[in-house]
Amino acid sequence: MNDAARPRFGKGVKLRHDADGTAMLLVPEGALALNAPAAVALELVDGERSVDEIVAAVISRFDVTLERAHADVHELFERLEVRGFLLLRQGSG
Amino acid sequence: MSLLCEITYRCNLQCPYCYNPLSLRDYRDELSTEQWCVVLAQAAELGVVQTHFSGGEPTLRRDLPAMVAFASGAGLYTNLITQGTFLEDALLDELLAAGLDHVQISIQAPEAALADRIAGTTAHARKLEALERALRRDVAVTLNCVLHRLNHDAIGDAIALAERLGVRRLELANVQFYGWAYRNRLALMPTREQVERGEAVVTAARERLRGAMEIAYVPPDYFDDFPKPCMNGWGRQFMTVTPNGMALPCPAAAAIRTLHFENVRDRALRAIWQDSEAFCRYRGTAWMPEPCRSCDRREIDWGGCRCQAFLLTGDAGATDPVCSLSADHRLVVALREGNGQREPVARRA
Repeated sequence: MNDAARPRFGKGVKLRHDADGTAMLLVPEGALALNAPAAVALELVDGERSVDEIVAAVISRFDVTLERAHADVHELFERLEVRGFLLLRQGSG
Repeated sequence: MSLLCEITYRCNLQCPYCYNPLSLRDYRDELSTEQWCVVLAQAAELGVVQTHFSGGEPTLRRDLPAMVAFASGAGLYTNLITQGTFLEDALLDELLAAGLDHVQISIQAPEAALADRIAGTTAHARKLEALERALRRDVAVTLNCVLHRLNHDAIGDAIALAERLGVRRLELANVQFYGWAYRNRLALMPTREQVERGEAVVTAARERLRGAMEIAYVPPDYFDDFPKPCMNGWGRQFMTVTPNGMALPCPAAAAIRTLHFENVRDRALRAIWQDSEAFCRYRGTAWMPEPCRSCDRREIDWGGCRCQAFLLTGDAGATDPVCSLSADHRLVVALREGNGQREPVARRA
């Protein structure tokens, strides 16, 4: 994954926050539960911010190393990209 | 938690695998737009996050966009399950403006002659036009094809069609034997050879199309050793409301004549969900007979499907006969091995 890529959501993908503080990603005919760092990373997905900026934001909010945050964000984004829930290339989707 | 809104059972197709009830007389008194909006508001308050508009053919209700708009405004994720024959540009415009998040369009087979033969009418070309229209729009699309003996050998062609049209998500779902499908079970039951061949085609296509197309495959439970975790457990995550307002724990549950289902006209959704007799009866594991009660899989498959247990044994509280540990498993084996009819014999009017 290119750290300068600016991810955006695929069609039919929505981030949802509930009153109890939990977050989930609503996708076509399903829902994915999110842990707190994943929710923070996905909140910043807007087609403008880069993967690098999102990793930096996760580090600023949680007590994690750069290495760990980088690996976690990449793993999450790749998992979502394979299913078409996140678009990492310009013009795709 | 999700809510299936079956807003009408009316439909212009006559698919022999339809899970709708055989007699639609009781369902003609459909909930009004306002009544559906009350149900949707109560659902959002109860913790429902996704709502599916289905039927019958939901686009036959002219107030569908109004309901989608209301659901969307209540914060619900909205999904339309349609066979597509009425999905014209103007209706798509209205639905998208209303906030529709996802549309599932079904075909009966990848090729027109077979598809129309299964649907009992000429519809395939119009459905493909609707699919292409939806794919051009800013809405997520799933292409669905229900699999059974008449089209199981066309799985590869269905995948090729989806690929050609640029479909991102394809659902290949083996027929579930309820309603009309149960009535036509002998004609629709695939052979073991078909199932094995089909699954090999799906496995290879998934590998080849990884990252480009997701293929959701629903296996035929009659060929498994253990039952499906129907609805992920009775009254755990899922609720259906029928066109006339009955609240069901499973879309096929109205067939269970030994249960009384309450109506959303009489009682709020939360009360029905939390303490109606029908929702409580098979919730959790305490109701289970042996072999489920002491089984390690009791919170994996939740005893299987209550509707299937009722249809096959007359007892909705029995272990799903699909389970190889069920005392009634021979009923499933007999159906699985006894498929011989050439054509579906019965169609809805």
